[in-house]
Amino acid sequence: MAATAEAPQSTKKNYLTALKEALYEEMAANSDMVCIGEDIGILGGAFGVTDGLQEKYGRERVIDAPISEAAIVGVACGMCVNGKTTMVEMQFIDFISCGFDQIVNFTATYHYRTAGEVAIPMVIRGPAGGYGGGALYHSQMNEAWFANSPGLKIVCPSTPRDAKGLLKSALRDPNPILFYEMKELYRQRAIEEEVPEGDAALVPLGKAAVRQEGEDVTIVTYGTNVYMCLEAAKTLEAEGFRAEVIDIRSLVPLDEETILESLKKTNRLVVVNEAPRTCGFAGEILARLAQEAFEYLDAPPVRVTRLDTPVPWVKPLETFVLPSVDKITEAALRVCRY
Amino acid sequence: MLGPYSQKLTADDHRELLNQLYLARYFDVRLIKEKKRGRLRGTLYSSHNQEAILVGSLYGLKPNDWISPIHRDMPAFFLKDFRNGWRNPGRMGMTIQEVCAQVWGKQGSPGRARDNWSHIGSKAKHIIHSTSMLAGTIPAAAGVVYADRLDGGDAVVLTYNGEGSTAQGVFHEAVNFAAVHRLPVVTIIENNQWAYGTPTDMEYSLEDFARRADGYGIPGLIADGQNVFDVYEKVMEAVDFARSGKGPSIVECKTFRAYGHGDHDDDRAAKYRPTDEVAQGRSRDPIAVMKRLMVAAGTMTADQSKEHPAEGKGAAEVTDADFPPVVVEYLTEGVEFAVNDTVPPGEEGGMWVFRE
Repeated sequence: MAATAEAPQSTKKNYLTALKEALYEEMAANSDMVCIGEDIGILGGAFGVTDGLQEKYGRERVIDAPISEAAIVGVACGMCVNGKTTMVEMQFIDFISCGFDQIVNFTATYHYRTAGEVAIPMVIRGPAGGYGGGALYHSQMNEAWFANSPGLKIVCPSTPRDAKGLLKSALRDPNPILFYEMKELYRQRAIEEEVPEGDAALVPLGKAAVRQEGEDVTIVTYGTNVYMCLEAAKTLEAEGFRAEVIDIRSLVPLDEETILESLKKTNRLVVVNEAPRTCGFAGEILARLAQEAFEYLDAPPVRVTRLDTPVPWVKPLETFVLPSVDKITEAALRVCRY
Repeated sequence: MLGPYSQKLTADDHRELLNQLYLARYFDVRLIKEKKRGRLRGTLYSSHNQEAILVGSLYGLKPNDWISPIHRDMPAFFLKDFRNGWRNPGRMGMTIQEVCAQVWGKQGSPGRARDNWSHIGSKAKHIIHSTSMLAGTIPAAAGVVYADRLDGGDAVVLTYNGEGSTAQGVFHEAVNFAAVHRLPVVTIIENNQWAYGTPTDMEYSLEDFARRADGYGIPGLIADGQNVFDVYEKVMEAVDFARSGKGPSIVECKTFRAYGHGDHDDDRAAKYRPTDEVAQGRSRDPIAVMKRLMVAAGTMTADQSKEHPAEGKGAAEVTDADFPPVVVEYLTEGVEFAVNDTVPPGEEGGMWVFRE
């Protein structure tokens, strides 16, 4: 690696490196923070997000847990009861179902059922989402399970800056948070960017980002789908429609204000998410906006989601069920031409 | 034959333990009477006949130790750190007013009556808050002492579980985790032979449940759950083992559920359980056992043992005169507080979902 003094090295970072930086910085800043998960220590995590963390902070604070998602969540919750901040890694977010009761009945309700006596500062993070051929149990977006469980915040970053900034904010929040990382974006070169250090990197929870401004249709989305919506927006532009693309970044709490302001301008709404249609979060956004913004709408709002199927393995099957640039474009054009 | 821990108990300890047994029993029967009088609503989960497990296991704990009780352990909330003075508000246990306010669903409940019955706890008093998902508290118990150990503490946690909940996957996950990390988690199994309507031979295929410990590489102890000294002995052995850094244990306390799963189930339980089994199971009342042990130890005379004959009586037969006055007075303070306390305002139902 003989980088010459003249050639400036790129300081752009990928999504995964940004996450890693967040963990290193927060572990350094908070001596009460403990990380726990399967293979996160010696191995450094299945994808390497926690690479080197155990070496630096020791086996007591970076725990290689047995394959026991329920115990992992519950142990982390107990640590939070006794003053710790915990980061729980789910090796794949699909596996979170094995710890479901500990999350929704035990952890999510803790502050509520103790009348505010006990806060649980816990972040459960892990690789999520399809488009990688991961098949049924390595492709899911199951955020709706948790959006339907009061007491949990839900975050889903789409850029390296947000990955770092939102994870740092989440690790400083006193509530249990589910943090959906888009594994298809982990090492994607095209989205690498400069990522600030320390507190300058913080991105507040509950604030949407307008990724592209437009006047003709509002497309609301999050995660990997953000890039598909931006791609679809190009085709729309060629057809004479300028789309405003909103990346909500946080599902709970949801920045309804930003979406509403956009709708007042565009009067048309498309919502896109990877999760299945029925009772998915896209449906929740549609319901809320249909109620809040009915007078502003010039066309029926539309959602583009996965079909109500599991995520199948081989490419043609996966493509068939998941949202795509074509499906988003088609839906948006329909709304624009209504 | 007393073991090394029980041998050190003094005559005062004996009297205190007996009074605690009486109090736990009185708590149970008094609530049933209050409900019959129409002053109390809600399901009651009786610890009748299992009181020696609570009293014996809690007696040797240090104030800073943690506990994780479940529905049949209601007296544990106030019995914790009871030696530091029944009415001492600074002790590391709940007051009788707090526990009664919870039973009655009033504002004075530590959880402001947001969840019912035993679903309370106190971070300040080192009591873990349970839910209805049994065995689901053991991971948190492991986490609490993990955090304590990181901070240089030497606290031990007692988790209480019926034998029924041991078939849950989370039981295995949590005990295994505690074993791997040698955490000071003492898992008490109150083996009362019935998981609601299911007998032990339909729950697990072991003669002694404690043998399950072998699979985790940890000690499995068996205690006579009717004998407060034996429970104290075995739990203290496990607690000292845990505190010295050697790791968790399972302590199986063999007992029998005297009545239904809850009071709503009393009538059915009288039918789904064989009469002779129930009679046999109730035949060694822990208060009677304690009195016999005290007479044998010379800390009570045979005549004294005839005083306050609450043992062997159900809620319908027993009266306040069957209990020592100190016990009746103490609980009455809690009951009157709760009856006169107010319910929380409705809008609290929408509060505290998140910490702002």
